[in-house]
Amino acid sequence: MEANNTANKNCTAEDCEVLFFTIDGTIYGIEIKYVNEIIGIEQITVVPKIPEHIKGVINIRGKVVPVISVRKRFGIEEIPYDDRTCIIVLEFDSGEQVGIIVDRVREVIVVNHNEISRTPDAKNVNSNHYIKSIVNLESGIRLLLDCEKLVRDS
Amino acid sequence: MAKFEAGMEAMADMYVFETTTLLEQLDQILMKTESESSFGEEEINEIFRTMHTIKGSSAMMGLDNMSKLAHAVEDMFYIIREDHPEINSMETLYDLVFTASDLMKAEIELIQEDDYSPTDFSGQIARIEEFAAVLKNGEKAAAKQPEAAKPAAAAAKPSVSGTSVKVTFEENCKMENLRALLVINRIKEICSALEYTPSDIEDNSDTADIIIKNGFDIVFSPAQGQTDDSVINAIKDCPNVKNCEISGKGQGTPAAADGNSTAVRIYFEDDCKMENLRALLVVNRVREVCESVSYEPSDIEDNSDTAKYIIENGFILRFKSDKPDMVLRVIEDAPSVKEYEVISRPSDTKSENIPENNTAPAETPKAAAPVQKAAPAAPQPQTDGRPTPQPAGKAPSGGAKQSLISVNLNKLDTLLDLVGEIVITEAMVTSSPDLKGLRLDNFQKSARQLRKLNSELQDTVMSIRMVPLSGAFSKMTRIVRDMKVKLGKDVDLVFEGEETEVDKSVIDQLNDPLMHMVRNSMDHGIEDSAEDRINAGKPAKGKITLSAYNSSGEVIIVVADDGQGIDPSKVLAKAEKNGILTKPASEYSEKEILNMIMLPGFSTNEQVTEYSGRGVGMDVVRKNIEKIGGTVSVDSKKGQGTSFIIKIPLSLSIVDGMEVSVGESIFTIPINAIRESFKAKPEQLVKDTDGKEMVMIRGECFPLIRLYDIYDLKPNTEDLYEGIVILAEGDGKCACLFADELIGEQQVVVKPFSPLLNNYNVKQHGMAGCSILGDGSITIILDVNNIISDF
Repeated sequence: MEANNTANKNCTAEDCEVLFFTIDGTIYGIEIKYVNEIIGIEQITVVPKIPEHIKGVINIRGKVVPVISVRKRFGIEEIPYDDRTCIIVLEFDSGEQVGIIVDRVREVIVVNHNEISRTPDAKNVNSNHYIKSIVNLESGIRLLLDCEKLVRDS
Repeated sequence: MAKFEAGMEAMADMYVFETTTLLEQLDQILMKTESESSFGEEEINEIFRTMHTIKGSSAMMGLDNMSKLAHAVEDMFYIIREDHPEINSMETLYDLVFTASDLMKAEIELIQEDDYSPTDFSGQIARIEEFAAVLKNGEKAAAKQPEAAKPAAAAAKPSVSGTSVKVTFEENCKMENLRALLVINRIKEICSALEYTPSDIEDNSDTADIIIKNGFDIVFSPAQGQTDDSVINAIKDCPNVKNCEISGKGQGTPAAADGNSTAVRIYFEDDCKMENLRALLVVNRVREVCESVSYEPSDIEDNSDTAKYIIENGFILRFKSDKPDMVLRVIEDAPSVKEYEVISRPSDTKSENIPENNTAPAETPKAAAPVQKAAPAAPQPQTDGRPTPQPAGKAPSGGAKQSLISVNLNKLDTLLDLVGEIVITEAMVTSSPDLKGLRLDNFQKSARQLRKLNSELQDTVMSIRMVPLSGAFSKMTRIVRDMKVKLGKDVDLVFEGEETEVDKSVIDQLNDPLMHMVRNSMDHGIEDSAEDRINAGKPAKGKITLSAYNSSGEVIIVVADDGQGIDPSKVLAKAEKNGILTKPASEYSEKEILNMIMLPGFSTNEQVTEYSGRGVGMDVVRKNIEKIGGTVSVDSKKGQGTSFIIKIPLSLSIVDGMEVSVGESIFTIPINAIRESFKAKPEQLVKDTDGKEMVMIRGECFPLIRLYDIYDLKPNTEDLYEGIVILAEGDGKCACLFADELIGEQQVVVKPFSPLLNNYNVKQHGMAGCSILGDGSITIILDVNNIISDF
């Protein structure tokens, strides 16, 4: 049962659920298997001497979780947080949790595996490998982000 | 954990724990005897017992290789114990036992992994057996062949009237005559008269063939306090004995008639499986506390069919002890034992046991059952005729109850976490903003009480987790011993303050660093030859001291040697060569140079040795110690020796801290690092030629570290006289930290930074971890050591 679940959520060959959100007007998606919860913006405690895109840490029910600004990560100018700003809390296999700050969260869509295509293998395109694959939906082309790459140092 | 048969997994943990403890004890005994260079009777017995227990429990777990290896060592010590042979080569003996112990330890490690496959120990077993044979033969030569005159065919009629048995040995076990001799030696003590055919087994190796063909005949009468059965069991217990059958019954003393032994019938829990091996476990435990033990059925070790017999008839155990009650308690405490009944008691204690029997109601239904009904299963008739059922369960008197329990460390971790959460929650409740401005006398009173109890709870939980360092220290004895032999250096290892306690999680992280440091001291520290030492005016024997003591919330462990010391100029040259210098060589202080040996890829020794020299050792030491929040430093005087000083926090998880604010941020400074805090006055500020600030306190000058400055924060005030100055101590130095405001003192639970942040070396920048305050906000705990040493 569990094995079946993971297979379903794996976005390479099977259908999977994707959570879409917007950053600076562009819609990006991440696989739902990484998403632990979505919370509103909270008070972020600054941690000195770390890269700029890591905004600091937040307290999620007693757990201290670092948060990353996706705008900063993508080199886009940051805007003041509003009531649509969200923190998507990702959880990795190791149990480590990381929050990402996005402009707004859109919807969860089940993506058929034949709607997914790979990113081109070229030096100057997607050089930081943030984009894992490209999803071709009826509503338009969407970029699926690689959570690991987004969070870890490139 | 390796796959064990159903019902065994639960015991596997226990087995691992027990065997590890036993092996550690074994090492200690060996080390002790080796330093005294003689084996006392007691030590030999101790080693023998240890091996016997390991053998038994390994067999029970189905680990044949372990069991066989333990068996070989046991046999060897059996020869030593019984024959007291001249041991010419003590080194070989120690080597064999140490290697065996190491192999077993390694195996225990392996067992705990999932894909376990048994290691083949046959090589080591063969070596041990070979040595045992040498021991045996040495004894033979010493015996000067007193009975050589007897003809080989002295198959004379036995003159002893007693029980005669025929013993057969395992096929191809070789040297049957010597094995037969081993049997004789083993039962000699428990028999009043003894005769055997062929009789010249000791000197005539041809008798081996005769034994193979005809078997080995023994006629014996048991000594006082022994029974036919106990003798036969002893024979069966001998190595390589395949079978022992009674060929003629003499006037042997039946078991129950024996006034001194107690017989007990044991029943195991239903469906516990492998009753025979469980019975063996009981036997092994009982053996540890009393001398002669016999049991029925006797072939439980090899014959799994006995399990069925035990289920139906129970397992009969006879033992002789001054304190039968204690033994009964051992039986009662043994795993899977459901109930037991005493079927016969020593005659002298009977009178006092009967009244006891009357007052205490029989707890076990089986105990009340007539013994005769179940007894026919046992070959010995109950000549006693007066069964005295003994209430099982609570033993009425004598002996302190075992007051130690072993607890899974995970449970303690959870407990500590919970206590941590309680501490935070308590602060949340008592400093709740809803209460601000209210006068609540009763509430405050209860809150104070709660705080007191919480801190007691916390202290207790901490103390549960505290373990003395002696365990970690004594492991070093073994390393020093091995290296002494290999390197040919004569070194004394001295312990000081080994009773100092630290948190269990700290101890686990300490073993590797300690080992590296001791190895380093042995290899690089102590001079290569005794002459070098004498020339330097030092005693020929080197000395390594492991000492530990408490100092203001920290435990300090020092590994010191009185060897050649570290040459700073060599270190500097090497560092320059390896390109790890970050500033001109002349700017390094001696202390800085010495601490370079802990940088990755550094080793002053030209040659890589088996023990050290790859330049990873000291780096690993530093990393491991830092992982547990500690620091290492080196102190060395050329020609006089080197000391490694490890400082580790007493506890890793709860810190008494002072909260200070810098702009929006709140930092926690551990109280034990704070000397004082004060508002500075203008006359205290001193500036050097570069404009770097210092603060003068009572005639002493300390550098001023502005926290907002080193952490690039926006403070509420940059004015030194408006904010607060905290004089803090770390890394052997003092400095003044400048913050906006003092918020208060609070106990905080240290939460480590997430791996994502650790990637950016936050620890190096003086941040030890974070914690959640009563109002849910996060504070960063400062590591004063790193801040000061960085500055």
